[in-house]
Amino acid sequence: MEKYNILKVLFTSLRKPKNLFTLFLMVSLLLTSCEDFVEVDLPSDQLYAEGVFEEPSTAKAAMVEIYSKIRNSGLFTGVSEGAPFSLANYTDEMDFYGPNNLGTVPFYNNTLTAANLDVKNIWDSSYNQIYAVNAIIEGVAQSKDLNEELKRQLTGEALFVRSLLHFSLANLFGGIPYVKSTDYQINKNLSRSEVALVYSLAKADLEVAVELLPEVYLTPNRTRPNRSTAKALMARLCLYAGNWEEASNAASAVLNQTEMYGEVNDLSQLFLNTSSTTIWQLSPPNNSSNTSEGATFIFTSGPPPLSAVSTSLLAAFEPNDLRKLEWLKAVTNGTTTWYHPNKYKKGVNSSAVSEYSIVFRTAELYLIRAEARARTGNLTLAQEDLNRIRSFAGLSATTASSKEALLQAILNERRVELFTEFGHRFFDLKRYELLDNFLLVVKPGWNSTDSLFPVPEMELSLNPNLEPQNLGY
Amino acid sequence: MKINLLFRAWTRCKRSSLLLLLVLFCVPTVSAQTVSLTGTVSDAQGVLPGVNVQLKNKLDTATTDANGVFHVNVLPEDILVFSYIGYLNVELLVGTQTTIQITLKPDTTALEEVLVNAGYYKVRDKERTGSISKITSKDIETQPVSNVLASMQGRMAGVNITQTTGVPGGGFDIQIRGLNSVRKSGNDPLYLIDGVPYSSSPIGSGQSSNVLPGQPSPLNSINPDQIESIEVLKDADATAIYGSRGANGVILITTKKGRSGKTQWDINLNNGFGTVTRFMELLSTQQYLTMREEAFANDGITTLPIKAYDVNGTWDRERYTDWQKTLLGGTSQITDLTTSVSGGGAQTHYRASASFNKQTSVFPGDFKYKKASFNLSTHHQSEDKRFEADFSAAYTLQDNVQPRGDLMTTALSLAPNAPSLYNPDGTLNWENSTWINPLSNLQGEYTAKIDDLFANALLSYQLSPHLALISSMGYTTTNSNEVAASPSTQYDPAYGVGAEFSSLKLGTSSRKSWIVEPQVRYQNGWSDLKLDALLGSTFQSQSSRMRDDLGQKFASNSLIYNLASASVKTILLNTEEEYRYAAIFGRINLHWKEKYIVNLTGRRDGSSRFGPGKQFANFAAVGAAWLFSNEVLFKDQTVLSFGKLRGSYGITGSDQIGNYQFLDTYGSTGNNYNGVIGLEPTRLFNPSFGWETSRKLEAAVELGFLKDRIYLTTGVYQNRSSNQLAGMPLPGTTGFSSLQSNLAATVQNTGVELSLRTVNITHKDFSWISSLNLTFSRNKLLEFPDLDASTYKNTYQIGEPLNIRKVYHFMGVDPATGLYTFEDYDGDGSITSNGDRKIIKDLNPDYFGGLLNQFRYGQFHLDFLFQFVKQENFNSTAFFASPGLQFQQPTTVLNHWQNSGDIAPHQLYTTGANGDAANAASRYKDSDAAISDASYIRLKNISLSYQLPTSWTKNVQCKLYFEGQNLWTWTKYDGGDPEFKSTGYLPPLRVLSAGIQLTL
Repeated sequence: MEKYNILKVLFTSLRKPKNLFTLFLMVSLLLTSCEDFVEVDLPSDQLYAEGVFEEPSTAKAAMVEIYSKIRNSGLFTGVSEGAPFSLANYTDEMDFYGPNNLGTVPFYNNTLTAANLDVKNIWDSSYNQIYAVNAIIEGVAQSKDLNEELKRQLTGEALFVRSLLHFSLANLFGGIPYVKSTDYQINKNLSRSEVALVYSLAKADLEVAVELLPEVYLTPNRTRPNRSTAKALMARLCLYAGNWEEASNAASAVLNQTEMYGEVNDLSQLFLNTSSTTIWQLSPPNNSSNTSEGATFIFTSGPPPLSAVSTSLLAAFEPNDLRKLEWLKAVTNGTTTWYHPNKYKKGVNSSAVSEYSIVFRTAELYLIRAEARARTGNLTLAQEDLNRIRSFAGLSATTASSKEALLQAILNERRVELFTEFGHRFFDLKRYELLDNFLLVVKPGWNSTDSLFPVPEMELSLNPNLEPQNLGY
Repeated sequence: MKINLLFRAWTRCKRSSLLLLLVLFCVPTVSAQTVSLTGTVSDAQGVLPGVNVQLKNKLDTATTDANGVFHVNVLPEDILVFSYIGYLNVELLVGTQTTIQITLKPDTTALEEVLVNAGYYKVRDKERTGSISKITSKDIETQPVSNVLASMQGRMAGVNITQTTGVPGGGFDIQIRGLNSVRKSGNDPLYLIDGVPYSSSPIGSGQSSNVLPGQPSPLNSINPDQIESIEVLKDADATAIYGSRGANGVILITTKKGRSGKTQWDINLNNGFGTVTRFMELLSTQQYLTMREEAFANDGITTLPIKAYDVNGTWDRERYTDWQKTLLGGTSQITDLTTSVSGGGAQTHYRASASFNKQTSVFPGDFKYKKASFNLSTHHQSEDKRFEADFSAAYTLQDNVQPRGDLMTTALSLAPNAPSLYNPDGTLNWENSTWINPLSNLQGEYTAKIDDLFANALLSYQLSPHLALISSMGYTTTNSNEVAASPSTQYDPAYGVGAEFSSLKLGTSSRKSWIVEPQVRYQNGWSDLKLDALLGSTFQSQSSRMRDDLGQKFASNSLIYNLASASVKTILLNTEEEYRYAAIFGRINLHWKEKYIVNLTGRRDGSSRFGPGKQFANFAAVGAAWLFSNEVLFKDQTVLSFGKLRGSYGITGSDQIGNYQFLDTYGSTGNNYNGVIGLEPTRLFNPSFGWETSRKLEAAVELGFLKDRIYLTTGVYQNRSSNQLAGMPLPGTTGFSSLQSNLAATVQNTGVELSLRTVNITHKDFSWISSLNLTFSRNKLLEFPDLDASTYKNTYQIGEPLNIRKVYHFMGVDPATGLYTFEDYDGDGSITSNGDRKIIKDLNPDYFGGLLNQFRYGQFHLDFLFQFVKQENFNSTAFFASPGLQFQQPTTVLNHWQNSGDIAPHQLYTTGANGDAANAASRYKDSDAAISDASYIRLKNISLSYQLPTSWTKNVQCKLYFEGQNLWTWTKYDGGDPEFKSTGYLPPLRVLSAGIQLTL
């Protein structure tokens, strides 16, 4: 509007040029309107932060965005730059055949440097997600308009995610800062907490999340975490932390809900988005996409454009293991045969949506409980859990009877059950302290210090409190 | 009497270049006893078109036509004044003559006449108090370039310009008197076209423009053919009137305007070709395979991995392809056609022009850049000369079709024995999925269609002889449509993917801006004093919209340019922004006895980019000049023809940060989860940041010797920028990478600028003029409280320039281990980024400049410009992977460590399995060994033209010319083009062209 006024006045003054007084009046008027003139409205795609937590719909939108981010980048994304695919190549699950200039190469060769951009991306995107959950925790706490139920729900989800991200980061990087606030003045100078401390902080968050989260799922396809999801993470966390009793109890708390978490007899159906063994899965970005894992792992002709299942993983399957049949697929060019993981059977751009990325499923909990029981000397019950998984795979009961043998059997069972899912293999070998034993044999570039990723160089430069760098970098 | 006084007071007008002003204030004289007079004006070479013929103390004017002929109605007592830029004025009493032959003599310097545009006002070059560099259409027309900044390279002291890509449509980096801001993106000058601000911020979001190092630059819409002059304002005196936007200098672009007189047609056709200036020396197949085999042997790998296609026999070990030549060795065909028509009568004149430019690509494939522009300018004045209206408009269309990605990186990294591009049947060869065929990049196109409208009106009304009302109004709009298609045919057929894997990125953006600047001007003179005062205000608004769409899953690849044919459509980005700006500004200029000049300028600015309470700030400057050669002391000597001392001090500012940065907001991301579109925190916010301020100090002396045949300008300057507006980098643990804030840091730029123009020979048939500009500059971070505790600790150092790199100190290759070694400064036994990157390397140029020589022999003109820069830069090692990997290498790595005891500059080869070697190689790139001399002297431009004698061409003037750009480079640089700094992109091209210009 200002524009037209100015023009009008200007033209008027030009027509009556002698009226100097009018002109100066005009100029002074224009100047007094300056203050208002330089105030602008918010752009159409933004909302004031406090406004977000005044309405349930926008508060929820802020929460689910974090799941979108987890699906799209960082520790859990199924794309080739994500940690799951990188870790499968980093250890002995996959062999890399793709072009030399892809980011996977230094993972596959175990030649990561502190300057590696994919490592930095995993770090940065995880902490960006952590900032967002902290913003939700703080925003919800200050909100006067959201109801109590929604506040509990959102805070519970946010704490669960905070726990999950820190726990997973610590498994990759060792000690890391545990970030519980959005205040950059604090966060820019944080130092690293020991892994044990990260675990206990993550556990504390999780305990609150278990209290706050509802037992039921809010969405039909189990795409938002519920109380059982928090307990499943609790089981995994306690296993990693060596709290066998708690790990076992947390796993039982989920597995005992047999109505909610049933059985899937046909292994080829287990990774469908309707699978009843699923505890938490990530919704795809639109109603015609399946999982990124599918798109990354599947190939149709050889040699593989990216990676194929390694010979050592192939050899780890016992004869007649149905999982080898259902979850791997052979591709041949006539002379050589390669296998790709076939848990997810559809690429991103396949027609109807039937598969989501499954983050927690019951098989892992059986194996967690089996291991926890074995470690506490409860061998019979451990065998029972192990055999349950084996029977679904069409295998006979385990022959392992001693604690040591049982633990080795469980390790191998985890290998063939959980392969190419979020780097389980890497973390398992690390827990068992067997990284060097397995990887030195098959990975020429492997060093003992590769058990931890480097802290991104940039991060150390910007925050020297994060020193020292992990050994070997 | 009144008029007389006006003459003296206002303009001290002896020459006609100020006639415009004269015209304004004279009362027209009409007489019945006029006779018609016809004349011809020429110089030593022939007739002169466009010469201004003025009746002294009257308003009647005429202009010579293409044949140098003019007609004018005169009285016998009239005095004719002939004036033409670059020539001495001639006055002649009419008397009884009805036909006149007159010959003008070149003015060796012509400086007296040169009017310099200072934005809100014009000033005679000899009377200016500020530091302003200028080039005119004469300098621009000799260059076969399509970007306005390219035409300025090497021609102005204190202005450092580098091109960021050789792909048309890309941008340039420009620094006027160095880096002022610690924020990398905060160093752009303010651009104005005919007084209207023109946003130079890149177009679009960059989502689709992978082929460019950034986004398309809007400056490509400015057609160099249409520019009359470019002035660069540098010091406080010149820039303070632009207040908050003047800190980084101001670039004023003036477009060509029409002239009264006979209708004149101009046609200019130019054809040329461009090629890459300089390729790197890379390994032959033999050398390459030897390196690879040695690397495997070093790593103890005896069975070559299945993936080592280059050495294990999968690829032909005898094959050799020069990938630089194959992928970048094409020739870019460049065609440029410009036509214009101008003319008009005493009250109204006009100029209309159209031009067309087309460039093909050096990449293989059918890619091209096309630009068409249309310009119109009109001038009208009322019969009583009190009202004047100028209107100009330009409409430019660009249509750029380029590959989806630049092939430079591939050309430098592909193994020399990599497979052939095509199968015998002409299809792309994927060699059984053992490589990514580089031409797959060409399967998808990047197209950018940008149209740009610029309109501007300047109205002025002379209220009284002393007082004028002026208003300028401008409107600009830029619309762009970018498309990047990724058809499934770009993937290896082994993926077995069809059109359902094709995708399309569409970026549309538009920017609209208007400005209104009402002004009042008062001019008056008393016996020894002249006053020129200006008061005005500015209202500007700019709104921009951006939208990026992603389309996936197409039914057919033939439909992938149609978003509606995608079965999955995602809106990646949809934003709208507004920027508002308001100001009041003024100027008071005083002349005393034609010797002392004081110029006061000031501005109060408000910008919507700052939060409440921080929106307004004041800026001001004072400039002064002493024309000491007008003192009695210098009257009776012939050596010193002109002498001036000038100086200025003032404050300018910068508001170059994004909009809305002070708000705490959540933004919509477009990410869908369970049918809900997500919201994310937009930024870490800080509500209380304000202006960046820059204090500029300058002193200069201008000396003319021997009737100004030698003209020297030497200036020293010191600029201090403080209250730095910076995105303070933050560690990732904060959730973000930076925070907007004012840092209590000060950056100082000091420098000496020298311009020397000498008229070496001036003769009827032969003349030689040289112009040299030379700039020594030093950039320094003066203060930065708590730098060691800040996040800039490893980026900057107090006492050092901003453009530094902290690097490891390379200690040579350990003769025992064969690994690169580095100085362990902190003595902790390991080489770490924090503890050991202690060597500081300055990447700013030490000095730079240009030397222009202009020769004329008869009808031949020869101009050539050498550009020179003394600098250091990252050398070739920084661009390549570590030797031994499956990547091509420069030949320098051949000299490497092989056996214990070897002394060699490069370490042992490794396939990457040797972790220590891989780490050392990565550090080597961040060491002082990777930075070396990148100085160069470049024959930037050469232009040879021949004006056909009019006796041959009758009524048509015809000029034939040959032009070249970036023709020759002398450098010891270990790398590609030394001028070029964007790794992985096509460097600027060498262009040769020939053309013909017809005027009728």
